[in-house]
Amino acid sequence: MITDPALAAPDELLGAGPAADPVAAAGGGDNPAPAGLWRHRHLLDVDVLTADELELVMHTTATMSEILARPIPRVPALRGWGVTNLFYEASTRTRVSFEVAAKNLSADVVNVTASASSVTKGESLIDTIRTLEALGARMLVIRHATSGAPWLAAETFGGSVINAGDGLHAHPTQALLDLYTMRTHLPGGSVAGRKVVILGDVLHSRVARSNLWSLTASGADVWVCGPVTLLRGFEAWAAAGVAGTRQFTATSDLAAALRDADVVMALRIQRERMASGLLPSLREYAARFGLTRARLATARPDALVMHPGPMNEGVEIAPDVAAGTQSVITDQVANGVAVRMAILYLLAGARGAGE
Amino acid sequence: MSGRRIMTAEEIRRAVIRISHEIVEKHAGTDGLVLVGIQRRGVPIARRLAEAIREHEAAALPVGALDITFYRDDLSMLAQQPVVKGTDLPFDVTGTTVVLVDDVLYTGRTIRAAMDALMEYGRPRAIRLAVLVDRGHCELPIRADHVGKNVPTSREELVRVRIEEIDGEDAVDIDRAVAAEPVAARTT
Amino acid sequence: MTIDVDARTSGGARSSVGARLADLEISRAWLVDPASGREGPGEIVVTDGVLEAVTWLEGVEAEGIDASGVIVAAGFIDLHAHLREPGNEDAETVATGLAAAAHGGFTTVCVMPNTTPALDEPSVLARIRDAAAASGLPVALLAHGAVSAGRAGEQLAALGELADAGVVGFSDDGAPVGSASLFRNALAYAGMLGLPIVDHPEDAALTEGAEANEGLIATILGLRGWPRAAEADAVARDLAILADVVGDVPGARLHLTHLSTAASLAHVRLAKAAGLPVTCDVTPHHLALTEEWLAGARRWSWEALDDDGVARDHWRDGAITAPPFDTSVRVNPPLRSAVDAAACLAALVDGTADAIATDHAPHAEVDKAVEFGLAANGISGIETALGVVLAAVDAGRLSLATAIAALTTGPARVLGDREPSTRGLFEGESANVVVFDRSATWRVTPDALASKGKNSPLLGRDLPGRVLLTVAGGRIAYEAADD
Repeated sequence: MITDPALAAPDELLGAGPAADPVAAAGGGDNPAPAGLWRHRHLLDVDVLTADELELVMHTTATMSEILARPIPRVPALRGWGVTNLFYEASTRTRVSFEVAAKNLSADVVNVTASASSVTKGESLIDTIRTLEALGARMLVIRHATSGAPWLAAETFGGSVINAGDGLHAHPTQALLDLYTMRTHLPGGSVAGRKVVILGDVLHSRVARSNLWSLTASGADVWVCGPVTLLRGFEAWAAAGVAGTRQFTATSDLAAALRDADVVMALRIQRERMASGLLPSLREYAARFGLTRARLATARPDALVMHPGPMNEGVEIAPDVAAGTQSVITDQVANGVAVRMAILYLLAGARGAGE
Repeated sequence: MSGRRIMTAEEIRRAVIRISHEIVEKHAGTDGLVLVGIQRRGVPIARRLAEAIREHEAAALPVGALDITFYRDDLSMLAQQPVVKGTDLPFDVTGTTVVLVDDVLYTGRTIRAAMDALMEYGRPRAIRLAVLVDRGHCELPIRADHVGKNVPTSREELVRVRIEEIDGEDAVDIDRAVAAEPVAARTT
Repeated sequence: MTIDVDARTSGGARSSVGARLADLEISRAWLVDPASGREGPGEIVVTDGVLEAVTWLEGVEAEGIDASGVIVAAGFIDLHAHLREPGNEDAETVATGLAAAAHGGFTTVCVMPNTTPALDEPSVLARIRDAAAASGLPVALLAHGAVSAGRAGEQLAALGELADAGVVGFSDDGAPVGSASLFRNALAYAGMLGLPIVDHPEDAALTEGAEANEGLIATILGLRGWPRAAEADAVARDLAILADVVGDVPGARLHLTHLSTAASLAHVRLAKAAGLPVTCDVTPHHLALTEEWLAGARRWSWEALDDDGVARDHWRDGAITAPPFDTSVRVNPPLRSAVDAAACLAALVDGTADAIATDHAPHAEVDKAVEFGLAANGISGIETALGVVLAAVDAGRLSLATAIAALTTGPARVLGDREPSTRGLFEGESANVVVFDRSATWRVTPDALASKGKNSPLLGRDLPGRVLLTVAGGRIAYEAADD
């Protein structure tokens, strides 16, 4: 029994009680409310999230999906909270997704698009963050072209920092929305034991990196696949395992990767890969590694097709696959809002918590 | 921890039956009446009230569950975010008389949050409140229409409602809180 | 053990930095003198700046004296330091850099020419020497001149004039001598002048945008990989050209600085065995720190190796104790694997590496308090070098004698007769000595560092070997404050 009234008072704090709550899972599939508590002040990457914490995020996301289904999808949970989106890289979709999520929770949203010019003018990231904090930001959503920049932000900022993508390194909310999307579509509501293929420019993909953490933590059988020049270093990581223990597979053998896959996630191929000599041509990439209907047919018949966007249709993914019945790409976008609402909500209660 | 029992399982059973009669009486029937339990212990109590009404009125009232987490006014005072339990209102509340059901009425803030949350789903004709225990200290102009038991308490005391569906038994106890620190997080 | 450190200046008062050391007696200390091949209990006496007596104790007199207490050695030589003046005085000045050197036990510092303007002609050298003289610090300042004008990698700098002005070598450090043809010409021309080319070996085509040693850590952290091959192939190029040039120009000499990989050290080992006139150094940070520090691990390189010499997994070990992406560990060449660090240590043991050079690279806070990818490369390391090396000694990775040799006789051999002061405990010569206490640790804090560059990943750490006294040219360069 909890004897400290400060702990005991709102029994919701204690998570699910011993008996299953008949409607606890409203909108949440078959998953009961998790017992885990949120202990993070920032969301910098998914690498620090335990399986229980991932479960809590998934559960909270499900309740947010329920809000999104309402005629007026807005609750007052973050009323009066200043949420600032600080984007050093153009990304309309991620920025808008965070903005909608924050507004749905009644937060006050400020968008800052820092152009390269403000960097060259000599205004440092630290200066910028201090300024935004003085202007009332309590949560900072940061997108930056440099790996690790959110860690610098977290060192400086007094509130919570959410990494909206840093360099090649991490994109935690994308990984969480991917996990949520997979769980809502896979029979049984779990990725455990499922074969998930991440296909394309793995080397330059923060989406792939973050997904490796969350998917292996959730027990998925993860395969990363692409031409060797875009897979550099991942063979060694696969051998060492994520967190030194959780093995995955890295291969350039597309046929082996796709065979009996439950989920195929294609990654964006960028033109500058040709300029830096990593690929001969987009045409050749499409011919050898593009996700076509014929190739998808070698996966499981009900395999999910995913893409973090924005897509180069006809390059990494064929238009009929992107728009086909197995595609859950638009669900990813919708779930992105729910996941970001969940993260904003969870972090709002985590003042004073550790990293 | 030494607890003082203020309601036994039998007393709870009787209180539920009495309240179920009062609800019907006050509404002069069951037409347009719905029961909405506040997560978590309000939900099984609402189900029991519905069951009692079904037995004596032969009417099946709709029962919903309301999660008020997002409507609390004390989120930023909590050390941890509450786990969201989810809302399930499988009916349109517009035009109905909603009886909100909770276990304990204390500061009234939960009820205030519940009314806000309910309004997001439609425009009820009326909202009433049924609680198992009214322990006093309401901080808002809110009072219960139906009360299982009025229990004068001090703020240092903790009213602990146990419901079989959740806790394995029915009972209401009063515990003297070990720390007398006021509990900002309380909303019940 | 009794220690009697009693230093007095000519004025009779307690010491002041820069003053001639009038009178010093250190009795019952542990002397380490690689120049004479001796190490053991002893005493020294300095009178009026001259090392008057070195006495080795034996028998009963030596009882109770061991290598765990006060150590006396010749003052250290740093072959590679950036003192930032002229041009970047917010990061370091000659005066603060020399004070930092003295605090680290160094009595001779070779500065690198990547100043602004570059040290590519004698007037810049004169300016630096003036600053050293004005500092009042007795630490000897030697300089490397630039290989190419403006370090632009196109035309040769004024090599002959620089040689006449007294530079001890030529380097475009901060960058490699870019083109193979310029390198070849520079090696020959400098050889004619009797001076070495000090090359920073890096194949820039492989390191464009690179942020971290290519490998598991860089892959996980999403940092752009800095392949080991970029160093090894540059070393191979340099050695191949050296082999060519030395046939025509017998005086041609090559010194490779801050080697950081097992492969490049293996190239040097073979070249030395073949008789090529090549020397090289390794840095304290490359032998003691590893790439896992980027992920937040904070253990020494030897702690990151298992019994089979295989790098351990910091994730599996739970060795992550600090946040990732700390810019203080961003350095060129990057921190490598634990296996490479072990190779650096092995190279010191087998003589492949001639010296430990600090590559002291102070930076202003504004150049480090930025995103990892935008941060300046470099570690402020001249004051922590001794402590880091002693940590390796404590761990049994180096003998004390090898460590001291790599800081004294090793670099002296690289400099040859261009370094006039002796590098041993020789009676009758001007005193160049460092006295440090192996049993005392000191905490690395911004205030404890004399350097303006506080960019040390060791901040907050306790290092062994507190320097008590540094004497350069018979004058006091540093003396620890009384506790």
